[in-house]
Amino acid sequence: MTPATDSIASAGLEVGEAGLELSRPEPAPAGRPLIGGVHALLQIVNRAVMVPCMLAVVAAAACLTYSVAARYFLKVPTEWQDETAVFLLIGATFCSGAFVQSYRGHIGVEAIAELLPPRANRWRLLVIDLVSAAFCTFFAWKSWTLFLEALHEGHTSNSTWGPPLWIPYLLMACGTSLLAVQLALESAVRAVDTEVRP
Amino acid sequence: MTGSTGIAFGAVTLLVMFSGMPIAFALGAVAVGFMAVFMPASALDTVTQNVYEEMASITLLSIPLFILKGAAIGRSPAGKDLYSAMHAWMNRIPGGLGIANVFACALFAAMSGSSPATCSAIGSAGIPEMRERGYSPGFAAGIIAAGGTLGILLPPSITMILYAVAAEQSLGRLFLAGIGPGLLLVALFAGYAVYRYRKEYAAAHAMHQQGGSRSALLDDRRYTWPERVEMLPRVLPFVILLIGVMVALYGGYATPSETAGLGAILALLLIAVVYRIWKPKQLRPILAGTIKESTMLMFIIGMSLLYSYVMSSLHISQDAAHAVVAMQLPKWLLLAAVLGMVVVLGFFLPPVSIILMTAPIILPPLKAAGFDLIWFGVVMTIVMEMGLIHPPVGLNIFVIKNIAPDIPLRSVIWGVLPFVALMLLAIVLMCFVPGIATGLPDVVMGATR
Repeated sequence: MTPATDSIASAGLEVGEAGLELSRPEPAPAGRPLIGGVHALLQIVNRAVMVPCMLAVVAAAACLTYSVAARYFLKVPTEWQDETAVFLLIGATFCSGAFVQSYRGHIGVEAIAELLPPRANRWRLLVIDLVSAAFCTFFAWKSWTLFLEALHEGHTSNSTWGPPLWIPYLLMACGTSLLAVQLALESAVRAVDTEVRP
Repeated sequence: MTGSTGIAFGAVTLLVMFSGMPIAFALGAVAVGFMAVFMPASALDTVTQNVYEEMASITLLSIPLFILKGAAIGRSPAGKDLYSAMHAWMNRIPGGLGIANVFACALFAAMSGSSPATCSAIGSAGIPEMRERGYSPGFAAGIIAAGGTLGILLPPSITMILYAVAAEQSLGRLFLAGIGPGLLLVALFAGYAVYRYRKEYAAAHAMHQQGGSRSALLDDRRYTWPERVEMLPRVLPFVILLIGVMVALYGGYATPSETAGLGAILALLLIAVVYRIWKPKQLRPILAGTIKESTMLMFIIGMSLLYSYVMSSLHISQDAAHAVVAMQLPKWLLLAAVLGMVVVLGFFLPPVSIILMTAPIILPPLKAAGFDLIWFGVVMTIVMEMGLIHPPVGLNIFVIKNIAPDIPLRSVIWGVLPFVALMLLAIVLMCFVPGIATGLPDVVMGATR
C-alpha cells in the first residue's frame, strides 16, 4: 500500500475514487506447494463469493426502492422488504469479509507499529495475524452453534413477517469461517516467509 | 474493582489497537477477552447473537447503500461535469472560480456523501483549472480539501448515521441539522476564496505593473450563454436526484434507509442513462469498491458495538461517565475537553470507531450539562471534518497529493490551515447561535423542547 492509499483506508469511513482502487491480493510464498494451493483455491472461492455479494447489495437497494413504490403507488403493505434487505446486507458483509481481508482491506492503526525494527515488525505482524485468526475462528464457531440452535429450535425474527433466523446466521457462519481460513492462511504465509522486510 | 477493570480495558485496547491489528478484529478480540475473564462463561455463547442483533438494524445497514450511491456517482464523470457547469456559470464573479469549486464540492458531497470521492472528482478537474488560471497551488489544494469535507456534514452522512444510532437520536433530524452549518461553511469557504483571490490578484497586478511577468490570474475567460446552457443537461439529473431524495425523505415518502436504497438505484440508473455505464464490466469496479469499503466499515461497526456492549456490561462506560459528571466541569470546558479528545483520537482512529467507542462515555455528561445532543452531533461531525484535513492523518490531504502530486505537501498543508480556522470559527458561531444547526429541524419536524 502506498502511504496515500494507506491513509485513505485509515479514515475508514469514506469511499472515493482513490479508495475504490483494489490493489492485488497478497501473493503466496514461492516453493510452498501446500500453502500455494490453498492460497489459489481461496482466491477462486473469494472471487466466486463476491458475485452474489455484489448482487445482494443491489438487490437490497432494489427491495427498499420497491418498498417505497409499493406503499405509495400500489398501496400494498410493506412488511418483508426491510428484513429482506437486512438479510441480504448481513450476508454480503460477512461473506465478503475474507475477500476484503485477502486485499488486507480490514484496516489497522499502523502509524506507531511501523517504527519498529524489521525483525520485530515481522514478529508483530505474525502475532496480529494469529490473534486475528484465533478471534475469527472463535466467532465462526459461535456463529455455527447459533445457526444450529436457530435451525433446530425454529427461531424466527420478532416482526409480523417473522422469517427464520437461521438464514442470516448461516450466512454469518459461512462468511466468518471463510475469513478464519483466510486469516489462518495469512498467518501460515507469514510464518514460513523468512525474508525480513523493512 | 470496576475502576481497575476500566483502566485495564482502556490499556489493553490501546495496546492491541497500536499493535496494528485490524481495528475490527482488535475491538472484537479485546471484547471477547474481557468477557472471558470478567463475565460469566455463558456470556461468550451470546457473542455472535449480540453482534447480529446490534448490526441487524436497517438504519445501520443503509450505510452500504449510501456507499453504493456515492461509488456510482464518484466513478462517473458527474463530478467533472458539475464542476465545469459551476465554473461556466460563476466565472464572472471576482474569485468565481474558487467559489465554483466550493459550490461544486458541496453539491457533489451531498450527492455522493463521501469526502475523498468529492476531493478526487472535483479536484481532478478543479485544481488544474485553478492553477492554470494563476491561483497559488496551496490555495487551490486548500479549497478542494476543505470543500471535500462537506461530504460528512451534508446529508446523507455516514458519520451522522452512526452518531444517530449511538446517541439514539432521530436520523432525519440530525441530517437536517447538518444543512445549516453545511451552508455556513460553504459561505465561509466561498468568502475566504474571494478574499484570497483578491489578495492574489492584487499581488499579481502589482507585480505586472512593476514590469514582472503577467500572471494568468489577470486574464479574463468568458463563456457565452449557449456554452453555459449546453452544460446543464448532464448536471441537472444529478441535482434532481439530490433534491428528489431529500423530498422523499422529508416529505414522509421514505425512511432514511429506504432513501439509501432509492438513491443507490437512481444513481445506478442515472449513470446508465447519462454516461452509458451499465455493462457488468463497467459496474464491477463500482460494486467491488462498494463491498470493499462497506464490509471493512460494517465489520468495524459490528465489533465496536460488541466492544461498547462489553464496556457497558462491565459498568466501565457508566462509571467513566459518572466520573466525568462528578468532576463538575464548567459546561463549556467540558465541551472543549470532549472535542479535544475527539481531535486527538482522530489522529489515530476512524470516525466510526470514535463515535461508537466514546458515545456511551461522553454523551451522558454532555446531556447532563444541558447540551442538545443533535447540536453536539453536528459539532462533533465538524471536528471530525477538521480531522480530514489537518495533519497527521488528514485523509483529504493525501487524496490531493494523489491527484496533484507536484504540489509540495508543505504547500497543501499551509493551504488547508485557513480552512481549519474557518471550521473552528463555524463551531464558535454555533456555540453562540445553536439555531444554526437546530433551527431547520425544529422548523421542519417541530421543536422537541
